Amino acid sequence: MATTTMSTTTTPAPAPGAVRPSRRTPRTTVMAVPALLWYAVFMVGPIGAIFVISVLRWPGMLAEVGFAGLDNYRAVLSDTLFWDSALNSAVQLVIAVPVMIVGAFMLGYFISTKPRGYRVLKVIVFTPALISASAKAMIFWGMFAPNGMINKLLSGIGLGSLQHAWIADTSTAFGCIIAIDIWSGIGYTATLYAARLDALPTSVYEAAEIDGAGHFRRMWRIAFPMVREYVGITVMLQFLWTLFTSAQNVLLLTQGGPGNSSTNLSFLVYQKAFVQSDLGYSQAAGVLLFAVGLVGMLVIRRLFRQPY
Amino acid sequence: MARHPVSRTRRLPGAGRIAAYLGAWGYALVLVLPLYYLLVSSFKNNDEIFSDPLGLPDSLSLTKFSTSIHDARLDLAILNSLIVTLCSLAVVLILAVPASYALARAKGRVATAIERAFSLGFLIPTFAALVPTFLLAAQLGLFHTRTFIILFLPATSLPLAVVLLTQFMRTVPDEVEEAARMDGAGNWTVLIRIYLPMVVPGIVTVLILSFLAFWNEYLYSLVIIGPDQAQRTIQVAVPTLRSSLSTDFGVLSAGTVVTLIPVYAVYSVLQRRMEGALMGGAVKL
Repeated sequence: MATTTMSTTTTPAPAPGAVRPSRRTPRTTVMAVPALLWYAVFMVGPIGAIFVISVLRWPGMLAEVGFAGLDNYRAVLSDTLFWDSALNSAVQLVIAVPVMIVGAFMLGYFISTKPRGYRVLKVIVFTPALISASAKAMIFWGMFAPNGMINKLLSGIGLGSLQHAWIADTSTAFGCIIAIDIWSGIGYTATLYAARLDALPTSVYEAAEIDGAGHFRRMWRIAFPMVREYVGITVMLQFLWTLFTSAQNVLLLTQGGPGNSSTNLSFLVYQKAFVQSDLGYSQAAGVLLFAVGLVGMLVIRRLFRQPY
Repeated sequence: MARHPVSRTRRLPGAGRIAAYLGAWGYALVLVLPLYYLLVSSFKNNDEIFSDPLGLPDSLSLTKFSTSIHDARLDLAILNSLIVTLCSLAVVLILAVPASYALARAKGRVATAIERAFSLGFLIPTFAALVPTFLLAAQLGLFHTRTFIILFLPATSLPLAVVLLTQFMRTVPDEVEEAARMDGAGNWTVLIRIYLPMVVPGIVTVLILSFLAFWNEYLYSLVIIGPDQAQRTIQVAVPTLRSSLSTDFGVLSAGTVVTLIPVYAVYSVLQRRMEGALMGGAVKL
């Protein structure tokens, strides 16, 4: 691990009289080893294990483990449930991520121009960053309930016919999950954009203002290109979070149902492992999910690196 | 911070500007309304919630809170969450501080590789490894214990902690360290006496972000600690207040409010710092 060889032999002779401290570049790398080991054991190792488990026959936590080769992948790819889940994940990404990012950018830009009341707005917009997945789910459980606030409001404004058992209905269950993602995602990301845009010099806007560029023009033509790469990073993160972590909302609110209408890929990985105890299938689906994440990341990187 | 907004606000509002106001405050309302609903519901019965969802409660009696604490043993759950959060925070610091000092000062290729390995960790969504982590817990004989979660959670925030602190450590000038070394100070003395005091803002950032992540963690706690009332965290305990037949929404709301109280308490004290931490954590990605 010694990366910093003691330099006494290689450095030119020290100035006469002065004993140059030979520990100019001290051996410190070794102090990073505990953290590295921890990270390797609890994060890198398990990620690697996904690939191993995906080629094992493992029909239950206590069952005998055998080698399955590509059988799990065959089972996954020929399962209509997998394709339905993939479709749900795709719908979720295509709706949630763009709405979230565009909404967040506009809101973040608006806050960064310091309009009247922006301090209050900033505090409100920050709140989704504080709330846990389970608290969020419980709040919306109450809102979407048959007797909950949303139905009550609908009937209050004369749209009683739209009342619904929102999360218990095949046609709306998954939409509710997406709505919650967007609800919290916009606020969180907008906070990030506001901070990033605050760091830009104000002078750039002034020129545009003199040229008479309107609010939206300044936002998209001036502010956006300057933080384009940063937007790229947040798109990538929101993409990954939406793809992977939405299993929590599904688990807490709909359990993938009714039917399989709200099962997406990340929930499928969870369900196969912990409900149906088919670890091989679950992890094969996990590897495919991982691959989707990787490809998506590379595509997003491309999109945001190059101007056109 | 005290930049004067003069040049921004004097112009007349255009149509775009008005639309922006409406959009922003409309969204703010959409954010606040569910929270308001949650808060008022925690003082009401189902009947009152159903008949008048947004009305103020008749009384501020805390019975829903005591019921939720009693029914789901939230007292134990809060204690467990505190244990898990505080211990995990301690582990993060103990691991990340020396590591980032090491990486900031070492100039070798290995150090660069280690730093890169940590920065890649940002892009690993922790959820991905749920199943293998679960098996690891079983292998270690720590299944259904908070102990495993205390070992596991720090690993999830190490990438951020190490990368962020390394950048802070780099800002400490070499000369200060050299002077100390002339006096015979070793690595640990240099780290604790010189670096630590100078990177306090970075440490606060790491602590805040990790606190939010650890206190709010749900899925791993659910799968690994499981349903044992003596071990489970508050995020796992609260959803059990739902019942499939007749949920008492007042009790559920009160329980949910309980999970939010510590976070908002910390936020109200450290508002500036917390927002700064989120930014610092994310901007430096």
